[in-house]
Amino acid sequence: MARVLEGVRVVDLSASTGAAWCSRLLADYGADVVVVEPLGGHPLRAIGPFTDAGDSIPAAYLLANKRSVTLDLDDANARATAAALCRRADIVVSSHAPSRLAAWGLDYATLATPTLVMVHVTPHGMTGDLAEVPGNDLTDAARSGWASINGSQEREPLKPSGWQPSMCAGTVAYAGAVAALRWRDGHPGEGQEVDVSEVEVMAAAFAPALLRSVYAGKAQGRRDPTDHLAGPVPVQDGYFALTISRAHFWRDAMNLLGLPDLAEDPRWGASFYRQAHKDEYVGRVTEAMSQWTKMDLFDELAVRRVVAGPVLTMEELRGVEHLRERDFWRKPADQPDGPEYPGPALRMNGTPASLDRRPPRPGEHTAEVLDTVGGAS
Amino acid sequence: MTDASTIRNEAAGITLTGPLAGTRGIVLTQAWAGSYCTALLGMLGADVIQVEVRKRPDSWRGDYAAPIGGRIKDVETAVHPWNVNPLYNSVNLNKRCITLDLGTPEGIEIYRRLVPYSDFIAENFSPRVMGNFGLEYEALKAIKPDIILASLSAYGHIGSWANIPGIGGTIEPTSGQSALLGYQDGPPMNSGQMYPDAVAAFNAFGAIIAALRHRDLTGEGQYIDLSMQDANLAMIGDSALEYVLTGRQRARLGNRHSTYAPHGIYAATGTERWIALATETDAQWAALCSIAGRGWAEDNRFVTNADRKANEDALDAEIAAWTATEDRDALSARLSAAGIYAAPVLDGLEVADDPHLRARGVVREVKHPEAGTWAQATIPLHFSRTPATDVRAAPMQGEHTRQVLAELLGMTDAEVDELERSGVSGMGPPD
Repeated sequence: MARVLEGVRVVDLSASTGAAWCSRLLADYGADVVVVEPLGGHPLRAIGPFTDAGDSIPAAYLLANKRSVTLDLDDANARATAAALCRRADIVVSSHAPSRLAAWGLDYATLATPTLVMVHVTPHGMTGDLAEVPGNDLTDAARSGWASINGSQEREPLKPSGWQPSMCAGTVAYAGAVAALRWRDGHPGEGQEVDVSEVEVMAAAFAPALLRSVYAGKAQGRRDPTDHLAGPVPVQDGYFALTISRAHFWRDAMNLLGLPDLAEDPRWGASFYRQAHKDEYVGRVTEAMSQWTKMDLFDELAVRRVVAGPVLTMEELRGVEHLRERDFWRKPADQPDGPEYPGPALRMNGTPASLDRRPPRPGEHTAEVLDTVGGAS
Repeated sequence: MTDASTIRNEAAGITLTGPLAGTRGIVLTQAWAGSYCTALLGMLGADVIQVEVRKRPDSWRGDYAAPIGGRIKDVETAVHPWNVNPLYNSVNLNKRCITLDLGTPEGIEIYRRLVPYSDFIAENFSPRVMGNFGLEYEALKAIKPDIILASLSAYGHIGSWANIPGIGGTIEPTSGQSALLGYQDGPPMNSGQMYPDAVAAFNAFGAIIAALRHRDLTGEGQYIDLSMQDANLAMIGDSALEYVLTGRQRARLGNRHSTYAPHGIYAATGTERWIALATETDAQWAALCSIAGRGWAEDNRFVTNADRKANEDALDAEIAAWTATEDRDALSARLSAAGIYAAPVLDGLEVADDPHLRARGVVREVKHPEAGTWAQATIPLHFSRTPATDVRAAPMQGEHTRQVLAELLGMTDAEVDELERSGVSGMGPPD
């Protein structure tokens, strides 16, 4: 099978999740990615949870498929080596603020390589008043609006789980990197910088709530506790989301739940009507749902082609045969007895993703990589 | 391949800017995931033409009979509810929209005639629908051998769940996202809007660009099968890997961090005024102690990060008592200046007015012919050489049918009139 980024050389200067995910995606589609780690190891290696052996699990996920070089960028010789690595790369991915890159002499202007595509994934972007302001996924959630709509009206705003702003920004940065690479294919010598801000990516993902707030003249809030059916509700053995969109979903679901009066009155088919009369049905529907187990209800609604969602845990997802049929879980090619990693976000049938390498130990490839630029670690 | 990142289409009166200028997609997307994926491509300069079926309008246009509300009901030009729905208008920037009834042979035939003018096609129907139209990948490939088709569906096009329908609000639970989202002491939750759609859109966006590069280099198109479940599970892949490696299901952490404390959202003075703040390094913690001036640096419960993590409830209570008397924005600015992670929790109206987002052009005023001029979130990608600067409002239903069919197929006004008379095209609710 072809690899869409075969032969593309990437240097990963990431210190955070978003940039590390961008270069992980580049690696999955065939690029040769070298991650430059400080002597003490990539900052992600200090982030839990950890395996019983003490290895960071987020680092394992984000650094897989890459080779690792350790360089102390506070040392001038090491910086020169890093610059040499960057100058022979097609793509450099960074998560550092403008002042830090400039201090290291690793900014785009100083690297002065017109063919280079340099991708920045930072909390606030490389220009503007906040360019030097530190941030993380929590502050990204706050500034982008997402925290203001997640959670309950009766509680504090809630950030998305895990590292979602970083992961989304890394994904968008991957798209930007490939777009810039494609541009350079058609316009030899024309590299460029691609500047991606985590807050901006999440603000873009917030676009529907933003425009709804703007048109209404009133900010969209968090969940009204009476709005049970906007998310999971308790069933016999867990939780289940029945977030109805179209009229026929409503009709068929209400019939299954034994609520024919709600099914057959056509007014309930329109979402704006349901929204305005929640008090008249939410209690009855949640009571009817509570009689079911989650997979029975899912199966019966699936037969009726109604959208529905049991809340699945990782243990349950590992047991879902459908994901195995899609080859979602994959062992690294160089570690056939190793653990199964969660697989690519999508299937490109002509140029599929591949997981070739287990995550590297810090500096595992320093000698072989630095041989190519004649540098020292 | 294009020669310039700015292309003027005089007939259409539009300018296409960005690295994808010169490419075109004639797409069958709807609601959020597919629509937003193709809007992103449009904002990078692709000419994106959205095909809509009047009998089954885009669900994000809302019901044809829905009332017009909020500030929009006072806008004189806002007369058609389906053209002024904020959901539709937020995720369809930089497109043209034509209507074709794909339930008729005439509609399908016109679509097939448009395929040769497409570099990529995207759709987010249920998996059987494209086949029912006779527009599955093999059929499209027979018309245009190097076509790229991206299908965005709930569970993908292969596998035993392929025909189970889903939307963002049901993929959030079935992908493992909901089990992780929520307060520490509360049940699993869905996000405030259907987050899995945005995830699907971002991933398909990158995949289509990669497929365009591969086509340019090799002449080969391809089929992209995106399952929203796969995509959303990959975005919490570290939690999945945690289960594989340790057998542990990650708990819901609320606003807390797996490793560092403090890490939370705290009330400031006023109503619905919240501040997010966190420290990761000892230097950040020392700076926070100094600014708060409440003796935390001397408190033996909070000496090391491990101490703070072990006493996180007490630490959160201390911080909350302090922030309750502070102004959100002033405190956030002071903490940020000291190198601490801090930010105001902005709501939808505040994001729309945010000076940083406006200065960088990501939030800007967009003029829509019916809804008027309002702030919108646009493209979150800044290219130094091929800037994507053109932003156009979401199209009205069928706004560009006549223009596009004339431009690409050379159809005359009389021919389009006939399509409207027979109901194959047109605008608004079908008769």
